[in-house]
Amino acid sequence: MSTLISSTKLHLNKREITFAVPLYITGLVAVVSVLISFLFWRAGSQPGSEGWISGSQSNPGILYSLAGFLVYLGVQSVATTFPFALSLGATRRGFAGGTVLWAVLVSAYLAFVFAVLTTIEIATDHWFAGFYVFDVYVLGAGDLSRLLPTVFLGTLSMLTIGGVFGAAWLRFGARGPQVIGVGVGLVLVLALIVLIPSAAEILGRFELWWLAVTAAVVIALSSAGMWSLLRSAIVR
Amino acid sequence: MTNTIEIDSVTRQFGRVRALDSVSFAVPEHSFVGLLGRNGAGKTTVMSIMAGQDRPTSGNVTVAGHDPFEHAPTLAQISYVRDNQRYPDDYRLHHVLRIAPNFAPNWSPEVAAELVEGFRIPARTPIKKLSRGQLSSVAIVLGLASRAPITLLDEPYLGLDVTARAFFHTVLLRDYEDHPRTVVFSTHLIEESASLFDRVVIMDKGRVVLDAASDEATETAWVMSGTTPAVTRLTGNAQVLSTSTVGGLMSATGFGALDSETRELAQELRVQIVRATLQQLVAAYGANDAASDRKEEVRSA
Repeated sequence: MSTLISSTKLHLNKREITFAVPLYITGLVAVVSVLISFLFWRAGSQPGSEGWISGSQSNPGILYSLAGFLVYLGVQSVATTFPFALSLGATRRGFAGGTVLWAVLVSAYLAFVFAVLTTIEIATDHWFAGFYVFDVYVLGAGDLSRLLPTVFLGTLSMLTIGGVFGAAWLRFGARGPQVIGVGVGLVLVLALIVLIPSAAEILGRFELWWLAVTAAVVIALSSAGMWSLLRSAIVR
Repeated sequence: MTNTIEIDSVTRQFGRVRALDSVSFAVPEHSFVGLLGRNGAGKTTVMSIMAGQDRPTSGNVTVAGHDPFEHAPTLAQISYVRDNQRYPDDYRLHHVLRIAPNFAPNWSPEVAAELVEGFRIPARTPIKKLSRGQLSSVAIVLGLASRAPITLLDEPYLGLDVTARAFFHTVLLRDYEDHPRTVVFSTHLIEESASLFDRVVIMDKGRVVLDAASDEATETAWVMSGTTPAVTRLTGNAQVLSTSTVGGLMSATGFGALDSETRELAQELRVQIVRATLQQLVAAYGANDAASDRKEEVRSA
């Protein structure tokens, strides 16, 4: 008997925050992006011009705005749901597995939604007015074969990073997330110190799949860390 | 009779704090056990361990024949909602009612609906904004509607008004009769719930100080009341758990059979001796350190 599927259902039980709130945020960012485009239009930039397209596609707002929410969602999926899951009879193993499965489902859902919205945006010649919200460089500039893995892996990374921070809070209190944050920061700074002399060479050789591998490593480490922390976490 | 829960020499240490100190007791199948004692006595900690939500530092716990920690088939048989249960952010009642059946194979929607209506739990208010009594009501819905073979009720009365408590008793007894289960029930409202218990386990400072069938628990417990010199004289060699003095009068709660000579002397000294109630016994075991030097640890099988 496994509590993995039940734990996934426990997360999916909050339908609005799981499925609707990301859409609300996306919609809000779309409106803000359109307003900014209007601003540029009024300032003299012409929709459809090379500068307009290049400037619009360089806007990564859609990614940044969702990232914060997704990390929060990941944190609360563990920090506030774990005590209730234990009370219902979930095992720690089942809860950790169910949480990762839920994160995979949410990531697939968002990747699908973004793919649909991008397709609509391109099909309508950018909402009939030259507005770029989803057809942006950071999401693959309209290339679905890049957009789907980008949104899926990006969302999964954010959710699992949030999950490991939530698990650290459950296990060690406020010190847990602080230690992880400081530890990750130190590792990144040390890596930069080592790599900075070769930065130009590395950037020259950069391939997109490096990001996918990095995301996969982050997801794997975060999921394993979450499970490891929850194994010994107790509810008091 | 087989034991559904067996706690064997369980110690739980939190840093320097020893929450449980070599605790041992058993809960027979389909019995109704009162887990009693002061705040901080260790009741919630031992219930957490029974529910597999925590692990002992040392000792063994067996629930339905298994260590409950991470054992899904055993956990599926247990219902345990903490007195300070946390719920996911923005949860409302319908979230609880929708998800609980996924974890509780014996979930009864009829019992849940009856309790929700009887307790008048608001459906639209976020759970984190419910009153203390309403939170207890939600916990009771989870505890009773799950019809779990092992039901652990941790302070279910907290904040409940008298009508709600009576309603809870009615549903609890009726459903227990129809669907027998093993119940461990911690509470401070001892007078109201004493009649429910088959057994009582009294804890103090992380230790079990009494483990007995409920009718035997107070059988040899007594309260003596009279003038301070008279009570002091009578309790000289007795097992006194606690004393309280007001002016020249003293009341002593103790444990152990009193011989006829003592009783005759009590009459002579105009000292009243009455059988202690369970509440008086629990209060006596939990009396402050000032009286603890007169406390005797009593453990019986």
